[in-house]
Amino acid sequence: MEWIFIPNKDGPVEHIYREKTDKRILKKNPWRDYRLHVTVLILVVIAELIGTIKIPLTKDVAITIMPLIYTIILGLVFYLAKPITWIQRKQARIAEGAMMLFIGVLIAKLAVSSGQSISLIFEMGPALILQELGHLATILVLPIALLLGFKKESIGMTNSIGREPNVAVVVDKYGFNSPESRGVFAIFIIGTVIGTIFISFLVTFSLSFLPLHPYAFAMASGVGSASMNAAAIGPTLAAFPGLETQIEAFAGFSNLLSFCVGIYIVIFVAIPLTEKMYNWLEPKIGRESITNKKGDDE
Amino acid sequence: MVEIIDGSENVSVHGIFNWILLLAIFSIITAIGNYIGYQHPMADSLIGMAILSIITLVGVWMERELPFNISSIIYISVIGIVLAFPTMPTSAPLLHYVSQVELLSIVTVFLAYVGIGMGKSWDEFKALGWRAIIITILVIASTYLGSAVVAHIILTLTGVPA
Repeated sequence: MEWIFIPNKDGPVEHIYREKTDKRILKKNPWRDYRLHVTVLILVVIAELIGTIKIPLTKDVAITIMPLIYTIILGLVFYLAKPITWIQRKQARIAEGAMMLFIGVLIAKLAVSSGQSISLIFEMGPALILQELGHLATILVLPIALLLGFKKESIGMTNSIGREPNVAVVVDKYGFNSPESRGVFAIFIIGTVIGTIFISFLVTFSLSFLPLHPYAFAMASGVGSASMNAAAIGPTLAAFPGLETQIEAFAGFSNLLSFCVGIYIVIFVAIPLTEKMYNWLEPKIGRESITNKKGDDE
Repeated sequence: MVEIIDGSENVSVHGIFNWILLLAIFSIITAIGNYIGYQHPMADSLIGMAILSIITLVGVWMERELPFNISSIIYISVIGIVLAFPTMPTSAPLLHYVSQVELLSIVTVFLAYVGIGMGKSWDEFKALGWRAIIITILVIASTYLGSAVVAHIILTLTGVPA
């Protein structure tokens, strides 16, 4: 297996968002790339015209495919499709930088819903805070990572969902060229490409098959990544008409908590716990390393 | 992914100008999508998007100008929550316009940019192999389900009606 290649790095990591945004937005004139924005407009118009499609599986269970899924997949297809020459790496970089700014609009909309429902949020305070501990469930994946032949990479892979803040924490703790960091980078890259699409289907299925409280679905969608949060809210809103404001409020607030509380749970609980589990389980079920071909890992 | 940062970028008028234009483009596309998808009047959506854009701008600006190491996401959230507080005079007009912009309209446009942006990671993604893909899927599923189940248990224990 080819393992992930990471460029050398000297700069600080804490401000991945800010630096990306600044680099892409301040130096170039991103609004000038009209072909990118016109393409997005066309994608959005196509997506909204198709609208939401419901595919019934059984009498009560249906898969909902929403316009947000069309735009993300079409966006990727436009980048990858050879005949479309005006969406290339440069446009992808601009889109990525612009996206970092547009997260703000999304967060602002969720914050307005949270502010509107502030008393409800205080009422649900215990559930909102404690559900952050639910994110520790990722550690349960550690044995599977070990069985698949990962070594210390598995610590980086399973301590959290592996989005930007988590990458920063792992790199900060283990160093840029450590196996743990390679693990979290792998999760980050795969999560970037399939995470948003995957979570949208995961939520759709969960809504159909799990009899949980509507607010629980809303709170769970704040996983600590703006695009995954966005993709998770869509089907939840569609499943509980009439509860839009509450769902947006809880989703927004729990995403905020994932950023400010969740990161400390990762630092002080998740990483130590993952390491303990690793030290206990690795001698028992660890396989021959699949990443150790050159013998320079440990 | 993480690139070498020379630290020479500073917020300039030029930079703020870029942000404003980008947010204006984003607002127009969202308003069009919001009209096609939900038939909300274009003018109201544009005002709603302008409000959200201003909150974003202030938050992004504060992150760079204030001497604290706080992400703009936190600033934006706090500004949005405070302005929408039911007791604030800003609450009623803010909600009137912002509620015209469906969250899903914003998300649809946002994810179009995400889709194009993530194409860049495609080659690295292909190099990673099926094992890492399985782990990623399990990690995302366990995060989501873990927190949904915990939230459900607490909500049930505290007697919140569904």
